[in-house]
Amino acid sequence: MYFLELLVSGIAVGSLYALIAMGFVLIYKGTGVINFAQGEVIMVAAFIAYYLTKGFGIPFLLAVPITLVATALLGAITERLVIRPMLGEPVFSVVMITIGLSIFLRSMAGIVFGHHNYILPNPFPVEPVHIAGITLSHNHIWSMGVAFCLMVVFFLFFQYSRLGLGMRATANDQDTATLMGVNIKRVYALTWGISFLVAGVAGIFLANVMVLNVGLAFVAISAFPAVILGGLESVPGAIIGGLAIGVIENLAGGYLDQMVGGGIKDVTPFAVLFLVLMIKPYGLFGTKEVERV
Amino acid sequence: MAIRSKIFCETYHEDIKLLNTYWSKAWMGLFIIGLFILPFLGDTYMVYMVNLCCIATVAAVGLNLLTGFTGQISLGHAAFLAIGAYTGTILSEGLNMPFWVTVPAGGLVAAAAGILVGIPCLRLKGLYLAMATMSFGVMVEYVLITLKGVTGGERGMYMPEVDVFGMVLNTDESIYYFLLVITAIMIVAAKNIVRTRVGRAFVAVRDRDIAAEVMGVNLTLYKVMAFALSSFYAGVAGVMYAYVMGHIHPEHFTMLHSVEYLAMIIVGGLGSILGSIFGAIFIVVIPEFIKILAQTIEEAIPAMAGKYDDEWNIAAFGLLIMLFLIFEPGGLNSIWQRLKIGFKNWPFTY
Amino acid sequence: MSGKAKFIKTLLMTGLLVLLTACLAMAGGRGVTDKEITLGMVLVKTGPVAALGIPQGDGMIDYMNYINEKGGINGRQIKVIWEDDGFQAPKSVAAVKKLVARDNVLTIMTTGGTNQTIANMKNISRYKIANIPNAMALEFFEPLHPYIFALGALYEWQYQVIVDYINDDLKMKDKRIGVVYTKKEYGKKGLDAIKKRAAKYNIPVVAELVLPTGAVDASSQVLALQQAGANIVITCDVLPPIISFLKTAEKYNYWPQVFGFNWATDDLLVKACGPAAKNYIGAGFVGGWADDSPGIKLVREIAAKYDRKPKLTSLYIGGVGVSMLFAEAIKRAGKNLTPDTLKAALETLRDYDTGGIFPLVTYTTKSHAPAKKVKLYKADVEKKCLVPLTDWRSPKDM
Repeated sequence: MYFLELLVSGIAVGSLYALIAMGFVLIYKGTGVINFAQGEVIMVAAFIAYYLTKGFGIPFLLAVPITLVATALLGAITERLVIRPMLGEPVFSVVMITIGLSIFLRSMAGIVFGHHNYILPNPFPVEPVHIAGITLSHNHIWSMGVAFCLMVVFFLFFQYSRLGLGMRATANDQDTATLMGVNIKRVYALTWGISFLVAGVAGIFLANVMVLNVGLAFVAISAFPAVILGGLESVPGAIIGGLAIGVIENLAGGYLDQMVGGGIKDVTPFAVLFLVLMIKPYGLFGTKEVERV
Repeated sequence: MAIRSKIFCETYHEDIKLLNTYWSKAWMGLFIIGLFILPFLGDTYMVYMVNLCCIATVAAVGLNLLTGFTGQISLGHAAFLAIGAYTGTILSEGLNMPFWVTVPAGGLVAAAAGILVGIPCLRLKGLYLAMATMSFGVMVEYVLITLKGVTGGERGMYMPEVDVFGMVLNTDESIYYFLLVITAIMIVAAKNIVRTRVGRAFVAVRDRDIAAEVMGVNLTLYKVMAFALSSFYAGVAGVMYAYVMGHIHPEHFTMLHSVEYLAMIIVGGLGSILGSIFGAIFIVVIPEFIKILAQTIEEAIPAMAGKYDDEWNIAAFGLLIMLFLIFEPGGLNSIWQRLKIGFKNWPFTY
Repeated sequence: MSGKAKFIKTLLMTGLLVLLTACLAMAGGRGVTDKEITLGMVLVKTGPVAALGIPQGDGMIDYMNYINEKGGINGRQIKVIWEDDGFQAPKSVAAVKKLVARDNVLTIMTTGGTNQTIANMKNISRYKIANIPNAMALEFFEPLHPYIFALGALYEWQYQVIVDYINDDLKMKDKRIGVVYTKKEYGKKGLDAIKKRAAKYNIPVVAELVLPTGAVDASSQVLALQQAGANIVITCDVLPPIISFLKTAEKYNYWPQVFGFNWATDDLLVKACGPAAKNYIGAGFVGGWADDSPGIKLVREIAAKYDRKPKLTSLYIGGVGVSMLFAEAIKRAGKNLTPDTLKAALETLRDYDTGGIFPLVTYTTKSHAPAKKVKLYKADVEKKCLVPLTDWRSPKDM
């Protein structure tokens, strides 16, 4: 029973990781870059939702789409201002740009929103759901559901839509994609917009579970293992990686913490990640890069 | 004597000399003198900042050897600094070892750790490697906090003052010379590494590792060597850090610090020793400049008084990194090279 | 030749200049003129922990402004320079050096948290910086450090008072303690103190769990505590993780008696958690915002005057208190104000009454230890604040 409860709550946390990881994967799939500012976007989205609901008194259900549109716009603007000038530059430089962006966004958030702890009003019923003796909160059920829906949507999108194909082509080889008639600029803008939108979704769910402050941005770091474990370019991989990390972390916390003197919960995901990479260098579901000279 | 308008090299050996003109030797001489009288020109605070620059320089040069020259992205550089710092402190505090043991020992232990990480990471590339090294960093942080008996855990450790043959360096000014000498040795060594066979092999691995292997570069050897060298530098920087701060703690060596070192070499210029030095100084000093600028603005425009928030400082720092990469992808080093060429060819700019 | 001579000349000149400025600085008395006293402080105001530094810094500055408006101290106005350290030791060391070398401050009222102060210890003695760190650690006053004055009851003492309370006052059968802590210094100290104390009372500690400061979720901790049957949970962690813990516990319908220490004893907790906080009891060494004591009334008056609405009221109160101690010491030091006389003046405080902000403050030449006094507060869910549960208490001698 104890094991089962740990497992289920692990899956619940894992679904949050999966949501965060999906944002990373989308950008990687579309542009071949890891966006280190993803956590900051999550935090900003949560703050926007907070101000809409608390500050302007907009009902939650209306605030969510506004937040998502705002974050998607932020993504498109970011792409236009800082990512597009880097078209054709090495991936590494673009990654560094996102690190700069993360520093910038974090401190701007500090200036605009202040450094206090806020609580996002909880739209879900407080009473948890009991299924077969296992307790689950509405928030977690919803986040699992949303993560799953998003996975299906994106899977279909990348597999069957023209645009999705264009995004994959761009990530694979920018030059060839351009030659084949893919409008790279549009692909980039869309990729960043969509990915920020997903980060927005994650932000709204996370701020309900955690305390909302500028430090919320660091949550993305805990999702890194999930991203890599699943493989950087696999949407289903992100979900499975997220769930796996959530469960592993929770089991480690529930069983090992008492034995090894604590704190093991935090470090286990990274240890697992390190080991997995030794065996499968491109994560569990990542595509192996074929190199030619 | 004819006027030399360009540098002409007749042999390869001449081409790769460190200082190949009289002028560059003269400038270098002046620069070194300048460094030696620096503590007399500024206050303690400035000297402390210069000390931090020295440490950052050594660490950044090390990271550049791995990331800039060999193309292996590392997000765990701070962990190697931590290993060096703790080794140095344990030797110095527990076993009372002098600096000429602690400094190389810190470097060597870190290098050993580098090899340990480097071997399993041979198959990893690009961002996956970055993530693997990041995990290593997180694990090191955990071990440092958990191994309370050895590392002091959450309490951190105290480093005694450095004793150079009976002279206790207990002020920022005196330790400055100590750091300066180590930094100089490390820079010259790095310069020599990159202009010899090893350095060329590194660059070959970075540009196309398969092609390099075909040409007879032992990939395993050179990748691991790059890891070892880079962590050696980090370890030495860690011991220097411990001597300057007098107290070390796991929180001084987190992933955010690794990111900072990465920022240094990118702003300075990947694959350039001089660039690493520029980058290190830039990242350490620029917050200071922004602050002074903000204060000047506050004093000049009364309406702006009291509007300054330290958070702006950090925002500007992030913005600067972005602007740099967008408008000057080659980093500070390429600006410097352009300036130099412009100056050399003046007034004929082409 | 002339070039070299010139060079030596410039070298000598600069050397002389440095000496001269140094002498001038000495003669003027550091940071003190007839009209003005310059004080410094190093406290975090950027980054993820800024929420902790800002209210305290605001409180310190507001009190000094309040004093200035009343005519200053001994005819001198007080200027406070606030340097940010981002909660990082190297930056804190840099800030201390800047304040002393550039801004020439009389003293630095606080040098930040535990790590930052420890990293600064050598500089504190070298530059004679009398300061009250914004943290509690035994090595601040044991052995006596000549320039560090400890702020409030040690974490150990706070937890001892809590366990004493659990044993003596808490009406509950079959007490079983679970500890939730973080891998920070205060977490470890708290855990050890709880275990030792509980063993003396024969109260079993049935679970020890880590709750990291940035935890996404506290489910595994809550479940493990439930599993172990803990009906009392003592937390050794700061506000945000405790808020998530209480909310998660509410979700699992787990209602133990929860205790926390001074960094988690703030009205914000009750505001943030709502009904989930109903079983919360926190320890603190400052008065509560709603208290009726003269000191707290003054704090509320100052906050209203400077239009502050501190989110973390306990820290603002503490900030005003620290400034009050320094103002008193500066007054006692009189006209001849130097780092040494300031330190000596702080050591003359005997049972100094801050009007309920702190317990009575005593520093002597032999001991800079803080008062061993802690107050327990209980969450009042209706009023959305903490209300005092006990008066000042000391850990019992055992």
